[in-house]
Amino acid sequence: MRRRRQRPIPPVSEQSSDAELLRAVAAGQTAALRLLHHRHAGWLRARLRRRCADPDVVDAAIQDTFVAVWKDAHRYEETSADAAAWLWTIAVRRLLSTLRGPAHRWLSGPADELPDVATTPSAEELVLLGVEHGALGPALDRLSPELRRLIEATALDGLSVREAAKLLGIPEGTAKTRLMRARTRLRELLT
Amino acid sequence: MTTDWHLDPGLIEQYETGALEPSRIMAVEAHLLACADCRARIPADDAWLTDNWSAVYDDIHAPRLGPLQRLLTRAGLPEHRLRLLTATPALRWSWLLATAAVLMLAVAAARLGADGSLLVGQAFLVLAPILPVIAVSGAYGPPADPMHEITGTTPAAGPALVLWRAVSVIGVAVLMSTVAAVLLPGPGWYSVAWLLPALLLCTGTLALATVLSLPVAAGVLGGLWLAGVLAATGTSDDLAVAAMFGPTAQLAYLLSAALAAAVLIQRRRRFDLGESR
Repeated sequence: MRRRRQRPIPPVSEQSSDAELLRAVAAGQTAALRLLHHRHAGWLRARLRRRCADPDVVDAAIQDTFVAVWKDAHRYEETSADAAAWLWTIAVRRLLSTLRGPAHRWLSGPADELPDVATTPSAEELVLLGVEHGALGPALDRLSPELRRLIEATALDGLSVREAAKLLGIPEGTAKTRLMRARTRLRELLT
Repeated sequence: MTTDWHLDPGLIEQYETGALEPSRIMAVEAHLLACADCRARIPADDAWLTDNWSAVYDDIHAPRLGPLQRLLTRAGLPEHRLRLLTATPALRWSWLLATAAVLMLAVAAARLGADGSLLVGQAFLVLAPILPVIAVSGAYGPPADPMHEITGTTPAAGPALVLWRAVSVIGVAVLMSTVAAVLLPGPGWYSVAWLLPALLLCTGTLALATVLSLPVAAGVLGGLWLAGVLAATGTSDDLAVAAMFGPTAQLAYLLSAALAAAVLIQRRRRFDLGESR
């Protein structure tokens, strides 16, 4: 792994890659965070809005995300994951903690630490990339909504079963059984 | 991972309005993570983007908490209380420095003058209980705080504010006096004997402040304490100190302090910072 910490960080521009921007953010460059925000806030917002109907909560989650990135950008190199996937894992967890946090956000303390998560694409995610063409699409459409939302939360959003349960507002045990049922059902539909 | 399939504007619009069937939503989302070009194609509202960014910018440029404040937050003090207590640095520093100066003078006097050290120790014992009281009456309120009228009109004003401030002031003053007491030469019990009188004087002052204004209450109780001690010392020296700080007297201080606390709780509605009535 390269060590860039000692060397001066080159100035960032619109053309810089996400990884370069994150390195500059770790070195304390606000301009890099601004570029990162302008590049990613749009799609994060669009995607988070499919998870939560309240636009204020979504906006707050996106703000929290980039504040967290500002504080923890140095941890990005360690995970060596795709920057977009890394941002998404932070954003969806921020949304979760905003949803379950106390009503008076401005009075409570800063949100908890960034979780350590692996952001390598899961097998399911890789399969989902091909969903447009294969037999998986129709199968997913025939799944009942509550089962599909669990597949969505675990396979696509990269949440753990416990976090998915919190997002959907159901007990963890229920989420586990539903996830199992969803996988069995998918297998039936695909064979 | 790239695919030969990409998002087009129509698909993106359908995605945003939620008109797509579930499997295609999932396909779009999976593709978004994998393809930077399609991410950039999602239209972003410029006004919204600027607003959101300025919120992020404000947040990361907010003043950082000091180490002491972080420690207090860790100990369970809510952040808004902390803000309240630390929002008046000018007031805080004045009494902090004053208390420190008095205590350092006491310690220096006792260390340097070897023959009179016992006398200084006794004088400390007499004066130490009053220090927190002076601090609490002098730290906030009309004479010290030019903003007290504005503070008084805020929803936060009232018994809770006075008590939070009193607790913070008394806590620090007691801590500093304890350090000084340990540094002082003299019998070992001197260093703790002043604590219960100090407790009595503080709760007594706060209880009395439900009738009088805070500085007047502090002056009355402090004067009473000084007069009582001086009267007792006037008769005979060593005996008086033993009588004023002996076990019986300490028990009496504790009981009176409990009484004062009860009065304070009973009459807490009548209580506000330094307003004369």
